Amino acid sequence: MGLAAHLIKYLEINGSQKGMVILDAILQQTVNGLMIGSIYVLLAFGLSMIYGVLDIAHFAHGTIAIGGGYITYLMLNSFGLSFWLSIIVAMIIIGIIGLLVERLAYRKLLNAPPINSFIVSLGLLLVFENVLQYLFGADQLAIRTNYTRVFSFFGASVAEIRLYVFISSIILTIILFLFLHKSKPGKAIRATAQNKDAVVLMGVDVKKVYSMVFIIGSAIGAIAGSFIGAVFAIFPSYGAHIILKGFAVLILGGLGSIPGAVIGAYVLGLSETFGAGFISSTYKEVIAFLIMILVLVFKPEGIMGKGATKL
Amino acid sequence: MKRNFRDLALFSLLFLLLLFGLLGCSEEQGAVIDDNDVEEEIEQVGDIKILKVGMNDALTGAAAVYGLPQHEAVQLAIKQINEAGGINVDGDIYHLELIAYDSKGDMTESLSVAQRLINQDGVNIILGWATSGMTSAVAPQIAAAESDVLILVGTAGERGITAKGHPNIFRTRPPADFTGGAAGDFVANRGIEKLAILGQLKDSFYQQYVDAFVEYYEDAGGVVVTTEIFSQGDRDMYSQLTSIQSMDIDGLFVPGYVEQAAFVYRQARELGIDVPIYGFTGGNEDQFLAVASEEDMDGIFDLRPSELTVEVLGPSAVKFVEDYTNEYGKAPTPNAPFAYDQVWVIKYALEAAGTVDDISKIIEAIRELEIPEEVVMGYIPVNGKLFDRSGQAYIENIAMLWEDGRWTVYDLLASDVEGYSEFLYNLDE
Repeated sequence: MGLAAHLIKYLEINGSQKGMVILDAILQQTVNGLMIGSIYVLLAFGLSMIYGVLDIAHFAHGTIAIGGGYITYLMLNSFGLSFWLSIIVAMIIIGIIGLLVERLAYRKLLNAPPINSFIVSLGLLLVFENVLQYLFGADQLAIRTNYTRVFSFFGASVAEIRLYVFISSIILTIILFLFLHKSKPGKAIRATAQNKDAVVLMGVDVKKVYSMVFIIGSAIGAIAGSFIGAVFAIFPSYGAHIILKGFAVLILGGLGSIPGAVIGAYVLGLSETFGAGFISSTYKEVIAFLIMILVLVFKPEGIMGKGATKL
Repeated sequence: MKRNFRDLALFSLLFLLLLFGLLGCSEEQGAVIDDNDVEEEIEQVGDIKILKVGMNDALTGAAAVYGLPQHEAVQLAIKQINEAGGINVDGDIYHLELIAYDSKGDMTESLSVAQRLINQDGVNIILGWATSGMTSAVAPQIAAAESDVLILVGTAGERGITAKGHPNIFRTRPPADFTGGAAGDFVANRGIEKLAILGQLKDSFYQQYVDAFVEYYEDAGGVVVTTEIFSQGDRDMYSQLTSIQSMDIDGLFVPGYVEQAAFVYRQARELGIDVPIYGFTGGNEDQFLAVASEEDMDGIFDLRPSELTVEVLGPSAVKFVEDYTNEYGKAPTPNAPFAYDQVWVIKYALEAAGTVDDISKIIEAIRELEIPEEVVMGYIPVNGKLFDRSGQAYIENIAMLWEDGRWTVYDLLASDVEGYSEFLYNLDE
């Protein structure tokens, strides 16, 4: 049902209800977009950090994030941990896996042509996807929580778990910002992203920085995967699907820019929901990517790309 | 020394991970050949010959929710037939061996799988075919190119698969629009005057169901207020449901895969949409409750072919559920018997034809086949036979209602088999 139909419906409704219906829909779609954008934010953080520091397009990040969701599912259902504790366990395990991936798969390729790490990242995506399938099967799994209430804000409905995703993404954005700007390791990460050679001369161990980036990026990915499982569901090939969104956010926001990733994520989320809600649900994905292309036509470096400090 | 040990430990961990990955790859990409330990348990009474049959189905990906149960059902049927003494074809005893490849629900992959089964594995009978998208593109193509290959289609319900009239294609599941019209009538008769449709309408199978549904629904006086779409991989339907919520409707109809439909039902209730909901999904309780709560599901209808509805089927259905559950530790899905029944069709057709090589004789035997007693689905015979002139079998249409945590039989829907069979035969597709 397209925009024209909405307008016709708008005109058919009498009195003061006219404005209310359209406003209600706009508010609800805005809330929908912000909620989905929050998941994209969490996914994009890890990608942005890894690309910003190491110039690696880590295609396996989505699948590793989904692996975090599976670990949360296991901890919750097999070990009886709470949802939040399960996520912490998932962050630790996926952080370690991120470290292994960096040390054993990417470390030796840092001075090789970019195509090499691109191929390796695709290979890792396939490997991790198959490992997940071998361990958990192909069926989707939903992480069931007790957060089943639905809240209403000025007429817009928000499911409880989605609200927690949104709040978590805001908190993590603040924590990440403070970490990168106020802490010594964070400053080392930012400095490495801006000028690797200079930080080496200043005595920073860049290899430790690389490891830190992968650990932190993967751990945040585990949070994304866990929330995806709680709001939607997880299955082994979902990582390959969502990583495209992750890279779209990266490109939209500006490669290697954390603030750009945040803005890009919410722009993508809102584009999808408004496009599906007011233009056509048939072309939901297409509309979002068209908007992305339009932004890039006018700002090829992304929303926060040029002039913005890396990370 | 310390660093070497640490690197060795790290390398070993990654190696193990890679090993798992490669194991997973080989299991997905390669043949899933059923082990033959069953044969070792059977006494050798004369020579037992092995007849390979192929399976082309979605064992991974979004369509695996329908393809995997089919695969399991076929494995079960083969095991039961082999254990019961095999197939007697003109005095020779045959055991079936299944060679199954994963099409991933993808057209290109499915074509490659079919060609591999025929050219490399030498099979001339191919089972499976759970999804319409790949089946409607691939099965007729294979049937036209390889007239000595028999194709038995399961859950894929796109009408053209049998409407095209290939003599070597048979299907156990009725076409989507056979149910759609009856469903449209049903919804209109329940007093739903303004309906929203939210479905997987990029898929021709669901589109055909909806076309027939809308035709009958509007003929009965209903109005379709809005139509929204979700895709096979979608899990977030909030945007579409928000749009629907702003419309003046008194009913919602949801045709689509069970995984997506479950999210629609949950998210509709989260948004406060409390109009009656009618679906066309064919999912079992476990599949829905993995995503939605019992409260979300309460009062929802599913308008579909009767499939594995034990309450209306006979003892063979009860036995199938028991056997399947014992074998796999889980309940079968409603569509699984479409593939299970394919194997029994082969058994009786081979015995009647007296050959495993002459496909034209086997096809003739299938056309003359009455309904075997071991089949699970409640087939409606057409002129006393299981399949009609188009190679199509039919089962009752049914309205299922979710009550007290499970699907219950609400009512049978109109099922004009003779009329539809005639329509299908004369269709120019």
